[in-house]
Amino acid sequence: MLHRFSYYFHIWQRWGFNALQEVFVNRGTNLLFFSGKFIRLAMTLLVLLLIKQNIKTFAGYTNDQMIVFFLVYQFVENISSIFYRGVYNFGRDVRNGQFDFDLPKPINPLFRALMGNPDINDMVFFVISSGVSLYILSTLQLTITAASILGFSLLLINSFVIVTALHIIVLSIAIFTTDVEGVIWMYRDLARLGQFPITAYLELMRFSLFFIVPIGMMITIPAQLLMNLPLSYSVWVSVLIGGSFLGFSLWLWNIALKNYTSASS
Amino acid sequence: MTKYIQLLKLSWQNGFVYRTSLFMWRFRQFLSSVMSLTVWTVIYTSQSSVLGYDQTQMITYIFLSAFLQSCILATALNSLSGRVYSGEISAQLVKPISLFGYLAIEDVADKLRNIFFILIETSLLYLIFIPTIPLPTLLNGALFVLAVLMGAVMNFIINLLFGAIGFWSPDTWGPKFMFFIMVEFTAGKLFPLDILPPILEKLLYLTPFPYFSFVQTQIFLGRLDSVQIFWQLASLAGWIVGLYLVTRWIWQRGLRDYAAAGQ
Repeated sequence: MLHRFSYYFHIWQRWGFNALQEVFVNRGTNLLFFSGKFIRLAMTLLVLLLIKQNIKTFAGYTNDQMIVFFLVYQFVENISSIFYRGVYNFGRDVRNGQFDFDLPKPINPLFRALMGNPDINDMVFFVISSGVSLYILSTLQLTITAASILGFSLLLINSFVIVTALHIIVLSIAIFTTDVEGVIWMYRDLARLGQFPITAYLELMRFSLFFIVPIGMMITIPAQLLMNLPLSYSVWVSVLIGGSFLGFSLWLWNIALKNYTSASS
Repeated sequence: MTKYIQLLKLSWQNGFVYRTSLFMWRFRQFLSSVMSLTVWTVIYTSQSSVLGYDQTQMITYIFLSAFLQSCILATALNSLSGRVYSGEISAQLVKPISLFGYLAIEDVADKLRNIFFILIETSLLYLIFIPTIPLPTLLNGALFVLAVLMGAVMNFIINLLFGAIGFWSPDTWGPKFMFFIMVEFTAGKLFPLDILPPILEKLLYLTPFPYFSFVQTQIFLGRLDSVQIFWQLASLAGWIVGLYLVTRWIWQRGLRDYAAAGQ
C-alpha cells in the first residue's frame, strides 16, 4: 500500500515539475492569471467587509461568521483547483483521442485524468491566500476551540472526498458526452453558492445543495463545526453522504470506461 | 441586406446545435441570479436600506444586471482570436461581405438568443421572488435603451480588439481572464459599483467597465439627473470612437501580417 502511494506520489511530482516548467514558458499569461485571482479575492473580501459594516446579521449568522463561510469556500475550492485542474482539459483529450494513450499505461487512468495537470498558479495562490485568511480569522469575533479545529480538519477530509467525487462524476459525463467544459463550469457555479451559508437559500435549493450536489456538506457543515454553531446536519450524515458520493462516482466512472468508444480513432 | 438577414437566421440556428452547452450556460446564469437575489433578499429582512439602496432598488438592479449581461456582455466572439490564429477567418475574408459586418451579425444572433432565454428566466425569477420593479420615466426609458445599444457596440469593439491578438499569438486567455474578472466585479449581479469606496469608484470611471451595465442600471433606476446622464453617454460615445479607431488600426496591421496559417 505504502509502495503504491510512493509510486503514485512520484508520478504526480513529475507532473508537478512539468507544470512548473510550463508556467515559466508562459510567464506573461500566468502572471495575468495570478493577478486576476488576487483581484477577485481582494474585491470579494472588500465587498464582504463593506456588507459587514452595514448589516448586523445574515440568515441568523453574525457578519463575522458570514466571512468564515466565504473563507472555507475559498480554501476548499483552492485545494480542488490545485489537484484537479486536469479535469478541465479532459473533454479535449476524449475528443482528440489523447485519452487512448493513457489507457494502456501502468497507472490508473482515473488518476491521470484527475490529477495529471496540477495548477502551480493555484499552489502559490493557496499559500498566500491561506495566510491572508488566517490573518482575517484572527481579527474576527468567533468561538473557535481546539476541539472545533480538530473536528473541522477531519471534516475537511470529507469535503475533499466530496470534491473528488464530484470531479469524477464530471469526468464520467465527459466520456459519455465528450463535453466537459459546460459541466465543470456548472459545478464551479454551484460551488460558488457555498460562499454563503446554504441554509439561506430557498427550501428546494437548500435540499439539493445538501443532498444532490452536496456543496453544503462540503462547505457549510465544516464551517459551522469550526465556529461551534448548531450543525444543519450531523457529522455522520455528512460523512455518509461523502462516502456514498465517492462510491457512486467510482461506479459511474467504471460504467463510463466500459462505454468508452475512442471517439477520434 | 438579404444576405445579412440570411446570415442572421443561420447564426441563430447555429447557436442551437450544441443544445446541452446552451442549456448549461443559461442554467449557470440563472444560478448566479438566484444567488444574488437570495443574498440581498436575506440582507433586507433585517433592515430597509443598505449602502444607499432600498430593497426595491437593489432587487431591480439585480434583475437589470442579469438582463444587461445578455444584451451587452453576451458575445459570439469569445473564440475570435483562436479563429484568427488558426486561419479560420480566411473563409470570411474572401466572401463578398465585410468581416466586421459578418462578426456583428453573429454577435447580434447570439444576443437575441440570450435575450430570448433571459426573458424566460426572468419570468421564473419573478414568480419565485415576486419583486416590485419600478418603471423609469419615458425619457429615462429611451435613454436606457440608447445606453444599452451603445454598451453593446463598445463590447463588440473590445471583443474585436481581443480577437486581434490572434494575429500574433495563440495565447489570449491571460488578458481575457483579467477582463472577465474586472467585468465580474464592475458589471456583475452581486453588487452595484457605487457601494465601493469612492476612490475605487472614481478610478473605475477612468475605464470602460462602468459602461457595460452599471451606468445603464443607474439611468433606469433614476439615480442620475439629466446632466449626469448627458456626460455619461458622452463618455460612452468617446470610448466607442476611441476604441474603434484603435481596433481598426490594429486590425489593419494584423491583416497585413496575416499568413492564413494552417489553411
